[in-house]
Amino acid sequence: MTTPTLDITGDVCPMTFVKVKMGLQGIPPQETLTVRLKGEALKNVISSLKAEGHLVANVSREEGIFLLEVTKGG
Amino acid sequence: MSEADYKELKKGGMMRQAEAGLFSVRLHVVGGRLATPQLRAIREAADRFGQGEIHLTSRQGVEIPHIPQGALAALKEFLAPSGVGVGVCGPTVRTVTACQGCRVCPSGVIDSPELAVAVDRELYGKPVPHKFKVGISGCVNNCMKAEENDAGIKGWIDPRWEESACDFCGICEAVCPAKAILLSAGDGKLVIDPALCIGCGDCITSCPTGNMREKSRGYRIFAGGKFGRKPSLGKQILEVLRTKEEAMAAILAVLDFFREHGKPRERFGDTLQGTGFPALETFVKGRMGLP
Repeated sequence: MTTPTLDITGDVCPMTFVKVKMGLQGIPPQETLTVRLKGEALKNVISSLKAEGHLVANVSREEGIFLLEVTKGG
Repeated sequence: MSEADYKELKKGGMMRQAEAGLFSVRLHVVGGRLATPQLRAIREAADRFGQGEIHLTSRQGVEIPHIPQGALAALKEFLAPSGVGVGVCGPTVRTVTACQGCRVCPSGVIDSPELAVAVDRELYGKPVPHKFKVGISGCVNNCMKAEENDAGIKGWIDPRWEESACDFCGICEAVCPAKAILLSAGDGKLVIDPALCIGCGDCITSCPTGNMREKSRGYRIFAGGKFGRKPSLGKQILEVLRTKEEAMAAILAVLDFFREHGKPRERFGDTLQGTGFPALETFVKGRMGLP
């Protein structure tokens, strides 16, 4: 099964956060969104996803870029 | 009015302005926090006794300028029922500054305003060889600039790695600003170098699986910082202290060292140039019963 992918490697805070939030709004709970991110966004995006009750799993990496599978909570 | 009288007024937070007969009145503020009834009283006082102007100082303080000498006592009396006290100046322990701390700030590690209130209660306005400033940062982001103060405190958090179920994704290693985490996924190993760790907790907040956890949190103490004409940065003393009471005891001991070794009108940083930092550290450790 392929999941929708969101690439925020070209964005900076707060757009990284906003795009992920909007991406998750577009899918139903328990569905998964793959997010490509790097640098400063790693800390900010992951900590806010955890705080909002989403599940981050199956992290993989391509060079300096991380791919997260985010399962929407709620 | 004699120079001695002006000096006495200044010590009590009433500073003579450039224009004769007028005073700027410094108020007692702790950790930059004021309740709305206090703010309303300050506004009313500035309108009634001053010229409707309020000055915010560089260290979270509040002053009401343009108060005629004859109105100083009445102003003090007007503010008292709202819990607004008049500040201090001269060779005393000054305003204790603090950030919003862990109750408000997501990065916060310690309750800096609570500690500021405790330090203030113990030390505010107490006589010392020269002005003495205390600043408290809730975490290593150091918004309150601990090293600019005669004594500074910073919140600190140590991480602990939980091996079971760690999937070695590498995010902790990538987010660590100090490159203190070394991951070798092949051998199933992760090492945190305590000598490099800066105690920020970024690895803990960003770990997706919760394998990077809080080991302990505490207080780092800094001494000897100042700004003014000849700025110098304070230096860290002691290992991380674990409790608020220990942090308080350390500040009290630092102040006693200053009283013992500081010459009149000599800032603490200059005193330490003479004594050296090791002498201070030995003194504080002795006081606290630390090894």
